[in-house]
Amino acid sequence: MTDHSEIISRMTGLLYPFILLFGFYIILNGHASPGGGFQGGAVLASVFITRYLVEPDRCIRLKTLKTAEKTLFVCIILYPALFLFATTTNHTELMNLIYLVAMNFLIGLKVCSGFTIIFFRFAFYEGGI
Amino acid sequence: MTENIFLITLVVLAIIALNTKKLRRAVVYLGVFSLVSSFVYLLYGAPDVAIAEAIIGSTITTVLYLVALRKYQVFSIYYTSNVNDQDIKRRKNNSAFLNNLEAFLIKREMEPQIIYSTNPIETILNQENFDLAIHHSEQDIQVYGCAEDYQLDAVEEYLLAYHGDLNIHLIRCAEGADNEA
Repeated sequence: MTDHSEIISRMTGLLYPFILLFGFYIILNGHASPGGGFQGGAVLASVFITRYLVEPDRCIRLKTLKTAEKTLFVCIILYPALFLFATTTNHTELMNLIYLVAMNFLIGLKVCSGFTIIFFRFAFYEGGI
Repeated sequence: MTENIFLITLVVLAIIALNTKKLRRAVVYLGVFSLVSSFVYLLYGAPDVAIAEAIIGSTITTVLYLVALRKYQVFSIYYTSNVNDQDIKRRKNNSAFLNNLEAFLIKREMEPQIIYSTNPIETILNQENFDLAIHHSEQDIQVYGCAEDYQLDAVEEYLLAYHGDLNIHLIRCAEGADNEA
């Protein structure tokens, strides 16, 4: 992928907003329709992966992504604990909805950063080139 | 009925992916296989699994396989000879053997990279990260390769078929023992 293809770079540039929109749609509608945090996160990660196909440079900041992933992991553990213990026994419908959407969102972002880290580790640091 | 058609398509695609000669084509067939299997999941009423299969199986895995294939594309060949420097330069110009080997590797979607070395063959075997090491002496040609390399069988077949008159010995080294670097 050292030689650039004008067609591919233009078309993927055109497609980025739609892929992002679709990913966030899957994540935010995960409680009501098929999909959820994991699938939406994988769609979001495919944005970064197609970006590698267009221009394979090393300017992506893997360290920031790693910190973000760890922070999100702590959030994913803390949020249900706080939700269960801090509130009273009768959960309203609205609170459950907010809890589900926020949880899906956190999981989606974590899966996205995890997939991106795996892919760029493999593409840049493993093997010969 | 529809499920049966798609299940048969799955089996056919799997057999095609196993039997293609070029690895890159097999990767594409695997992507199509994942797409069809995700559609079968959808027919059986599991849209969640279908989305995950379509994204991971046919997008991320395909791109990962393609990147991995690209990493293994460069095929480095070390070439040494018993004779001195000037002779190596002369032999470089008129050695049909190396040119044919290069053309053969290009046909198999590899990028051959020939390195002319003046070190003795033992140093190369111990130190360098080679795919093939060729030692050309007066009587014969010795070709060293890793036993785990899947290209080696094809290379051997090719060399025996087209250069059987050159007295070629193919020696397989174990990975790790000779190829630490």
